[in-house]
Amino acid sequence: MPKRWEVYPGKSQVLFSGRCISAKNLSVFYLTLALIVISSCLFLAFDCRLLAVTLSPSVPVLAAVQFIFVLCCLLRTTFSDPGIIPRGTPDEAAWIESQLEGPQVDRDGNYRPPVRLKDVQISGRVFKLKYCFTCKLWRPPRASHCSTCDNCVDRFDHHCPWVGNCVGRRNYRYFYLFLISLSVYCLYVMVFGIVNLVLLSNMRKDFLMAMKESPTSVLTILVAFFSIWSVVGLGGFHTMLICRETSTNEDIKGSFNQRRHPDLINPFDQGNGLANCCYVLFGPVTPSLLNFREDEIGLGSSISLVTNNGRNGTASAAAASTAVTATPAVRYSNLTRNNNDATSNSVGHVNNSVQVISESLPAQLPGDGNDVIVKNGNGTPADGVISGGTDTVGAQNSNTQSASSVHCIV
Amino acid sequence: MSSSKPLPNSYSATILPPANKAFVPRDYSHGTELRFSTELPAKLQGRIPEEVFTAVIGNINQLLIAAETGSASVYLESCFACLTGYLAYLCMETQYEKCLRSVSRLVEEYNRTVFGPRNLSMIDPSERGLRVIEIVLLRP
Repeated sequence: MPKRWEVYPGKSQVLFSGRCISAKNLSVFYLTLALIVISSCLFLAFDCRLLAVTLSPSVPVLAAVQFIFVLCCLLRTTFSDPGIIPRGTPDEAAWIESQLEGPQVDRDGNYRPPVRLKDVQISGRVFKLKYCFTCKLWRPPRASHCSTCDNCVDRFDHHCPWVGNCVGRRNYRYFYLFLISLSVYCLYVMVFGIVNLVLLSNMRKDFLMAMKESPTSVLTILVAFFSIWSVVGLGGFHTMLICRETSTNEDIKGSFNQRRHPDLINPFDQGNGLANCCYVLFGPVTPSLLNFREDEIGLGSSISLVTNNGRNGTASAAAASTAVTATPAVRYSNLTRNNNDATSNSVGHVNNSVQVISESLPAQLPGDGNDVIVKNGNGTPADGVISGGTDTVGAQNSNTQSASSVHCIV
Repeated sequence: MSSSKPLPNSYSATILPPANKAFVPRDYSHGTELRFSTELPAKLQGRIPEEVFTAVIGNINQLLIAAETGSASVYLESCFACLTGYLAYLCMETQYEKCLRSVSRLVEEYNRTVFGPRNLSMIDPSERGLRVIEIVLLRP
């Protein structure tokens, strides 16, 4: 049975068997990492020799502590789930899409795409929720779809190539602390690099000689100096965003821009900058909803969680399941599957019947409603061919009922 | 549905929702807090009394909303984790995770006492990415 990370359909990169997730293209992240690591190593190896002796041994110690903190925040930002909302199951998609006003052609022959917006009122302000056709879900307020990673991300801030991941609800605090700690660290390295040069030039009575003697100081000072402008600037910008409880995405779209539209109140703003800061940076941490390390027990073919041993529902469901797995690349609109599973223990029946009919047929099909009859575009029944490979019904007990007919085209 | 022109090929299929599943969507009227709608889905009419259903969803909502509330212990936990460079998260369970586990236990309990006897089965919302609460109709 595959794990969920093995059937993950988005464009993000899953690493270490589902323990980490990042963007596919990490080349700019490697640059960021190289700049930080190389500068720090040069600073600690060369500049700190004189500084530790002349000033205090706490100078390299503090530098090392800051370096480790910056790295921890950076790696957390890059490799943690930014708040990806797992894609909807085919059953959910069918339920939602059946409620949407379908695609239509009006009298002029113009094609109108399906309506996929609904209004929701939050604290007196109307938000428009969009249905994401890729992820098959109603996007929560503040969520947005990242086209680079092909996921909907909760409280989407932006996709940061420097960090190699989206910045969203779950990793925003790591991103912000990375910015702040890196700002402080850049300043620290620059100041003590300059101090080192000054001390050296005092000893050698010649500044140019000092620079020639310690070229790595010059390099680290330059790197720190040029980094400070962007990092401190971005850190300041995000501090302002946090105090207003807005994300970069919302700021760009002007979702809460009250200067232009006074009625665009921000219902998430707690009214107090400090309270907003505390909530965003130290508030509750959402766990990853992707559950990558768990078994994929089928595309929404659910197993009853009624068990007789009181264990955690997830574990017992996975253990008792007669798994139906599907190739992840198959798009919902082309696939139909019906499976009539039953197990002999107390786990109950599940019917996962999704009916797909062509437009010209009546809505009700004959039969017990469990059969899936797939028609081609011209109305003739397609041959029942199971394709897409992984239709395994494993771990069946001896007194299971026989599976009903499965017709499936890809 | 009738139309004056045939639709593009990719839209030639009308998809019907599964007959044996009812979905309880998220309720965003109070913001982004974790809350599910307490409205009884049409498929469950007659299978379960409305008051029971409302009470069940209400209780689940209470646990979920508590998960997202910033209490003193949550702030302390986050501060502590921050001071350790977030390495503490590798070995400790957050308040949110504890709340979601208690929701799983509650769902199991409800399946045993409320839904099971009515031939229904509630799927833990964590299994569905906190998008919907799925209720499976075990027997028509």
